[in-house]
Amino acid sequence: MDKLRKQHPLVDARGPNLLEDIYPYSLPPLIRFERPVVEYIDGKAVEFDFRAVKDRDILITDTTFRDGQQARPPYTVDQMVHIYDLMSRLGGPNGVIRQSEFFLYTKNDRETLDRCRALGHKYPECTGWIRAVKGDFRLVKEAGLKETGILTSCSDYHIFHKLRFRDRAECMNAYCEIVDAAFEEGVRPRCHLEDLTRADIDGFVLPFIDRLMEMSSQVPEELSVKIRLCDTMGFGISYPGAELPRSVPKLIYKLNRECGVPSDRLEWHGHNDFHKVHANAATAWLYGCDVVNTTLFGFGERTGNPPLEGAIFEYIALKGDLCGIDTMVITKLADYMRSIGLPIPDSFPFAGRSFNTTRAGIHADGLRRDEQIYNIFDTEKLLGRPPRVAITDKSGTDGLAHWINEFFGLKGKDRINKIKIHKLARWVIDQYDEHGRLTAISDQELEAKVRELLPEYWEKYKGS
Amino acid sequence: MATIEERVKAVTARILKLDPGQIKAEHSFTVDLGAESVQSIELVAMFEEEFGIEMDEDAALSVETVDKAVEFIAEVCRQQGVDVN
Repeated sequence: MDKLRKQHPLVDARGPNLLEDIYPYSLPPLIRFERPVVEYIDGKAVEFDFRAVKDRDILITDTTFRDGQQARPPYTVDQMVHIYDLMSRLGGPNGVIRQSEFFLYTKNDRETLDRCRALGHKYPECTGWIRAVKGDFRLVKEAGLKETGILTSCSDYHIFHKLRFRDRAECMNAYCEIVDAAFEEGVRPRCHLEDLTRADIDGFVLPFIDRLMEMSSQVPEELSVKIRLCDTMGFGISYPGAELPRSVPKLIYKLNRECGVPSDRLEWHGHNDFHKVHANAATAWLYGCDVVNTTLFGFGERTGNPPLEGAIFEYIALKGDLCGIDTMVITKLADYMRSIGLPIPDSFPFAGRSFNTTRAGIHADGLRRDEQIYNIFDTEKLLGRPPRVAITDKSGTDGLAHWINEFFGLKGKDRINKIKIHKLARWVIDQYDEHGRLTAISDQELEAKVRELLPEYWEKYKGS
Repeated sequence: MATIEERVKAVTARILKLDPGQIKAEHSFTVDLGAESVQSIELVAMFEEEFGIEMDEDAALSVETVDKAVEFIAEVCRQQGVDVN
């Protein structure tokens, strides 16, 4: 241990080093890698060079209308069409949000699909989702879709206890018949390996993938099978050294390099039961799976899926560029979702009402001096959401000054200092000390008090 | 006419609800006289009003004691051409 110790002399400086090559502020913090990492797989050291992700065609897909909708009352057709329209603007012309999947079973499902496609957006491409039932291909075909997801559950929990197959061979044959039916209909099958992180990888999953690859070699490239790796219960683990079937790196490696499924035909689909959902999706990207499947605001079955907007910021951080993404649409989507009753927690990253609102006076002091001290990136430029301060007795006069300057839109030397707002600061403190208030002060209340106690500023900046 | 020190003590007594006779030149506004955060702001605002001056916020709030406040205000008055004699 002593041999590892070394001295670390102070590197004195007369000015700050703000690490702007990592924290450019105009973009989310960039994710940079030094060198390849090594994962031991079947006793062999395997290198993965995450730096390659910058040039790989990594993508985001969406399942807001399928998995996302399984977690809430149904959306109306109009709502889905509007969300799809905004999602298309968010992903931009390069199709960073490449696909969105739709149910096909009801009249409303089909009308939604038709109206979304009628918008004429190139991206997200519309794909379907059906059970592993041959007759369901009629729906895919009638809808004119080129690709559909098919449930091919792969853990023995599902094979034996849910689907009641006699043995694994019967199960695999049944799945392959469905894949054949898709080929015959000219529809590209996307096999959803449900419950993959609880499956017998060597005993069932890899032989099944080998067979799918063999079948794919017999059909045109555009029909070849895609594989969705479904961490149905959120058991996946991103850490190096974790064992199969829970290891995300090893799962990707096995399918990608041992079975030869190309990266662009691998898609990670996670769940958030253990708070690992976004990290696991990003890990899948890094280890060679090009596509991560997401839902808006992570809304999905039980604890939800990887949040689409989280994947968007991860994408920008990995690429170092917006790549045509319009991040401002995230705020529009959040406002719209709230307006139709989707509860987004106030503290939810990038979208909650208070995601960049500070309550501590000492943080507000930092914000007042330089918003970069306590803001994650230029949230006003990227999300239309400048950092805010919620006013309580803990906000301090710094917090109050920040609130007022933001309210009047004052920057730089025009900002009002703390001294000028002492009457308002007194009113805030008295709310708690004298009147026993226990709640935060709303923007509406403060606005009224600003008008009353700072009339000269109101007149100057609000004009009436 | 009251001196700067007397006027500073009078304002301090009014804001902190103290007897002016209790306030000594060497007293710290926060430690000895018990000024809370918002009262420090009120003190600076009231000194500005009392003397008809504008003080730099950070500099004014960094003044800790009564005698230092007297010095600081005297200097600001001089700079801003305010007659306090």
